Amino acid sequence: MEMSGEHIIPANREAVWAALNDAGVLQACIPGCEEVVKSSDTELSAKVRLKIGPVKARFSGDVTLSDIVAPETYVISGKGNGGVAGFAKGGARVHLEDLGDEGTKLTYEVEAAIGGKLAQLGQRLIKSTSEKLAAQFFDSFAAQFEPEAA
Amino acid sequence: MYETAYARPRTLEEAVELLQSDEDAKCLAGGMTYVPTLKQRLAMPSLLVDLSRLLSRDIAVADGFLTIGAGARHVDVQRSQIVRETLPALAELAGLIGDPMVRNRGTIGGSLSNNDPAADYPSAALALDAQITTTKQQYAAADFLSGMFETLLDDDEIVTHVRFKIPVCAAYSKFASKASGYAVAGAFVARFDDDVRVAITGAGPCVFRADQLEEALKGDFNVWALKGKTIEPEGLLSDMHADAEYRAALAVEMTKRAVHQITGA
Repeated sequence: MEMSGEHIIPANREAVWAALNDAGVLQACIPGCEEVVKSSDTELSAKVRLKIGPVKARFSGDVTLSDIVAPETYVISGKGNGGVAGFAKGGARVHLEDLGDEGTKLTYEVEAAIGGKLAQLGQRLIKSTSEKLAAQFFDSFAAQFEPEAA
Repeated sequence: MYETAYARPRTLEEAVELLQSDEDAKCLAGGMTYVPTLKQRLAMPSLLVDLSRLLSRDIAVADGFLTIGAGARHVDVQRSQIVRETLPALAELAGLIGDPMVRNRGTIGGSLSNNDPAADYPSAALALDAQITTTKQQYAAADFLSGMFETLLDDDEIVTHVRFKIPVCAAYSKFASKASGYAVAGAFVARFDDDVRVAITGAGPCVFRADQLEEALKGDFNVWALKGKTIEPEGLLSDMHADAEYRAALAVEMTKRAVHQITGA
């Protein structure tokens, strides 16, 4: 499953880059995220609670940052285990473009897969769910830079 | 194994209190979606609040509206003399849900609260401009059915009644998945004195109205009026059963069949 999108963030590129590397910001923006712990500059672990209709599963997984070219691009990838519910893994290449006064253009390409029981039951829903989660993430992320949040 | 407590409260107030007492509590109506989910361990609530014996199953007509208690099972709606006389399309829809086992346990309140993108009732609720009453307030179906598997319900809120506006005539047609009975695409067409509403289920992440088809039918309520009319496939579901383009075409076809059922021509 693949998807992509772009958002204009009303902040300069350095600030956006810093936020993308900030465990607290990530935790606030990842839908259903209960915890993000940074173990090194490139490794994090996360606990995420996913709720889709009747399904409610808690995933814990590792997140790795790679291909880092600060403050322009990185690849964030993760693999999570939801116990009997199955597993999920995915990665996103994130790119930041400086637009001067307008802010920063963030583009992303995501590749994600799920397996186990979750995949059996949820095949028809994966794409819509992933798109919704991605939209929620970037909406919350952009909201971090709104004046009242600053 | 994990532990789950089970409670069968006698009143709605008690049920709401139980739901508030535990953040991992979940209410259970007919259980036709939730019990299989539990068996698969895809949800592990700490407390199950069984509503099946406390929700109203009453069905009544007054002032141009058909009101159904949230606990009415699909078979109750299917066989109700009142529904058959005032809104036969709804009785027919109920008879097309799942299989006999599902119809004998599943409830209208449960179906609407779950808002499965392929469920049947949401299409009727949207096309018939239903009012959904909960333990907290009343919603228009168009607001209440807010997204894929999403409603405006809080965790401690329970649907108690659904009130449908009775149309001049209506029909429901669906192309069902052979395995599950869920709609790959389904259309509920309702004609009112001054309006035509077409609600499509199964095709998108959430039930939606087909504006272009509605406009055409308002001009001329006839299958031929739909000739060349389409539904935009952008944003519709694609999966192993059908891709978005196919679903869009199928939804138009189901609309035509529903209109045909009404006009007979």
